[in-house]
Order: sequence, then structure tokens, then C-alpha cells
Amino acid sequence: MGKGVNRMMRGTTAVVGIGETPFHKRGTSGEPALKLALRAIVAAAEDAGIAPSEIDGFVSYGSERNDGQRMMSALGTEELRFGALVWTHGGGIPGALGLAATAIVTGQAEVVAVYRAMSESGGRRLRVDVAQDDTAAQQLVNGLDGPAQMCALRTMRLIEAEGVPARTLREMALVSYHHAKRNPRAIGRDAALDERIYDESRWISEPYRLFDCSRESDAGVAVIMVSAERAKDLRQRPAYLLGAPMGAVKGWGVLEENHDPYWSAGFRGVADRLWRETGYGPGDVDVAQIYENMTGMGVSALIEHRFCDPATAGDFITFDNLTAPDGGLPINTSGGNLAEGFIHGMSLVSEAVRQIRGTSPNQVPGASLSLMTGGPGDPVVSTALLGDASTV
Amino acid sequence: MEYSFRAHRIAGGIGADDRFWESLEEGVFRLPRCAGCDRWMWPAHFRCGGCGSWEQRWEPVEPVGSVYSWTRSWYVFDRTAERAEDVPYVVVVAEIPAAGGARVVGVLDGPDEGVRVGAPLRGRIDAPSAKSKGYAAVRWSLAGE
Ligand SMILES: [Zn+2]
Repeated sequence: MGKGVNRMMRGTTAVVGIGETPFHKRGTSGEPALKLALRAIVAAAEDAGIAPSEIDGFVSYGSERNDGQRMMSALGTEELRFGALVWTHGGGIPGALGLAATAIVTGQAEVVAVYRAMSESGGRRLRVDVAQDDTAAQQLVNGLDGPAQMCALRTMRLIEAEGVPARTLREMALVSYHHAKRNPRAIGRDAALDERIYDESRWISEPYRLFDCSRESDAGVAVIMVSAERAKDLRQRPAYLLGAPMGAVKGWGVLEENHDPYWSAGFRGVADRLWRETGYGPGDVDVAQIYENMTGMGVSALIEHRFCDPATAGDFITFDNLTAPDGGLPINTSGGNLAEGFIHGMSLVSEAVRQIRGTSPNQVPGASLSLMTGGPGDPVVSTALLGDASTV
Repeated sequence: MEYSFRAHRIAGGIGADDRFWESLEEGVFRLPRCAGCDRWMWPAHFRCGGCGSWEQRWEPVEPVGSVYSWTRSWYVFDRTAERAEDVPYVVVVAEIPAAGGARVVGVLDGPDEGVRVGAPLRGRIDAPSAKSKGYAAVRWSLAGE
């Protein structure tokens, strides 16, 4: 703490193109991840009205292996000038937007694609593509493998020690599945989830049931970023990047279940920096895409962004309050990772942009400030605020 | 001594806890303290971020504590499939006051009806087995009030 506030980047870049392949259940796309990445990037460039060959920067996160150098010849790339991955897993998504903005503002690149593509192959997807084979012996020796289990431990602490009602998990799931009904792309649009179906669904790892966990999908999702100046002349309403801090404070990082506070999603410090850098606060946000690998981690993310605290979470996290168009804070308006599909969280970025454009399947009327929080519980996380021209 | 875990090395995580696994195979539950400033440093690491020392002392600790958090897993996960016949099983994060509140993960043994945050725990050491992926492991039991 006590370090300077970064305002240099505020509103200087914008997302001007979004591209998505259809979402397929894992293993059913019939196309390799590289081809899905190309399809998403080309679609995003066309959406922006920019030739794919003009893209000179490539930024992703996690274990994305479809790097720019592998796509150059297929995109007709004239010159690749910037490429990077942001640490570590889904926590890095908004940070990837921030890194792309850094490259643009410093003149290292002009047109940057931020993207993620996954396609099941060989059954090693979770281990390699998501978990990156970095699960500690302290966990694997003791029966802990999946993110569902690690997140379950944190959420159990949130419920039993912090007193957050367990029903907040169900509310989060009901909101996402409700929004998915109006999204023709969503894999879970026909699930017809209600309280009874949720309550009767099988346990995965307590306190998580089946419907608390994100879906595994095959798809590619990409966005195109350029300078705010160039964005004015393009065909889409720009979604300006107001801030996208990444990081972790003392008590967080790789700590093998010794994090403090344990129920945290990792946003302590990072979320406060977002508000300081953008000049906005939680009360100003019109709509939010809350990365929910598991519902309970989304609850922690909402608390750490100061939308509520553990004592008020039960009042704030209700179906009515989180549902578009009339809720106080509509979240996950495409169905999110739970009900739309899980491309390591990247589809939450395109939905955050659609809300600024006015083209969401569950549009919040007049939305001008759109939040997207990165993968919760990651050893480093990031969070981003996007806005229309009136917010810059 | 030939240590089983070295032949079954898991590469993830920080990887500064070899002495922990060696000690368990020797039948002793040890946790590390910084040799410079004496604080418990867990999970083990190569350097103390507080005082800068590169040395640790591994001290025997009585495996007694309480449930910091817990989960009952009902799904056979890919890399812990050796425990399929035990599903559902409970994993606890045990907080150990005698080691500065260090938290150590372990599978719960015996009746699990009373498992909740704060419940007292006592641990014992299991020899390396397939279920624990060739490592020795601490198994916790609810100790009763
Ligand atoms: Zn020290």
C-alpha cells in the first residue's frame, strides 16, 4: 500500500471488436483449439472493421498455447510487435486487457487481440489447460485435485466462520441460468433450473452441488483493442478501458491453503486499486460479469469489491437484486461460466462489452459502467472496469 | 534412508517441503521455523521474507489442532482417482496452534458427522500408499470435545 495510483491508462484504449465461435460441450467442437482461436480473432477483427492482417499484438493468459507466432501466416500478419501471457489462470483475464492497453499506450502495438481458445483433446484439459500441472503435493497427496475442492474449502469457511448464508450460492446459480434462457448461444439455456432442481442436484464437493460449478466447453473468444483515438472512427461503440489492475497483497499468492483471509477470492487490494484508479466505486457500477468458477467464489468476489460485506451478503445476493433488467446489480447477464459456457472466463469480457454497446441478451437499460472480475481464488487476480464515452 | 516420495515426485506447488515428507516417512510430524527470526514459515519456502534468512529449523510438532475448513468430496477427480472407493470422503484444513496457526491439509479418518469449523482434531501418520500417491500423509480424526 501507499504506492502511487495509476491513472495514466484510464480511458486511453478501448475494446472495439468482439468475436466468438459457438460454444460446444467439451470435446464436441470437432476443431482444434488453434482453429477456434483463429475463428474468434477473425470474427473480432471483422466486427471492428479492421483487417485481421493489421493485428500486431497478441495477449492471453493461463496456459494459452495458440500464440501469435503460430497464427501469423493464417492471419496474414504484416508484423507481430507484441505478445505475452498474463499470470496465472483465469485470474489474469482483466490483466490481459490491461497489458494490451499498456502495449498500445506505449506505442509497442496498435491493434491487439486478447483471446482464449480451448478444445478437449486427450483428456488432459483440466490438468494442462486450466490447472497447468501446478497443483501441490500437499493437496494431491491428501485427496484434493479439482478447483471445485479447493474453492469448496474456502467457501465452507465463508459460510461457517463468516456467517454468509449458504443460500447465496443457490441465488448465484439461479441468476446465471435465468439469464441463459434468453441467450441463444448458451449451452445451459434449456436447463430450467429452479430451487427444487438445485436442492436435489448431486454434491460435487460440499458446499458445492452440480449447479454451483462452471461448464467445460470448447470454443474461442477474442476481443480487439486499439487506442481511444482510433476507436472513435471505427464501426462499433467503443467500450473504454477505465482500469484493469492485477496483483496480490501480503497474505495471498501461492500459499497452499494458508491464505489470509482464507475465504477471500484474492481481490483484497486489487479491487480497491480499481476504484482508486478509475475514480468510481461499487455504487456506480451498472452491470457486472463476475467470474464464477464456482458460485461461492463469486460471492467472495462481490464482497471484496465492496458491493456488500459478510454481514450483508445474504441481503444483497438475491435473485431479484442480481437479475437484469431491474436488479440493483445485474450480474452474469449472458449466463456466465455456469450456464453460457466456460472458455476459461473469456466470454465474460465480450458480455461486458455488449452491455456497453446495448446488445446483451439481457440488456441493462442505459448501462454505461460495466465491471468484469477475473478468476477468483487464483494466486494473482485482476479486475477491469469498462465504460462508454460518457464515463471517461 | 530411501524415501518413497522421491520416486513419486509431484512437481507442482512451491516444492520446498521435502523435509516435511521425509519426516513423515520417519514417523515424525515436523514443521519449519525460520532460523533467523524464529517464526513458523508454512508453507515451507526457500527464504524468509521477514528477515531474509535462507535457513530453516524443522521442529517436531504434536499433530493436534482444529478444523479451519473442510469439504466432503462426492466426485472422483482425475488425479485423485486412487480414492474412488472412499467417495464420499472428507478433507480438512487443520489449524495447528502450536505451530503459529500453520494450516496442514489431510483426509479425515473415522466418523465425520461432527465435522465443522472449529472442531478439535488429532492426527496420525500413514505410511506411503497408492491413495496418498506414494507419499506418507497425516490423517486427521475428530478428537471429541
Ligand atoms: Zn526469518
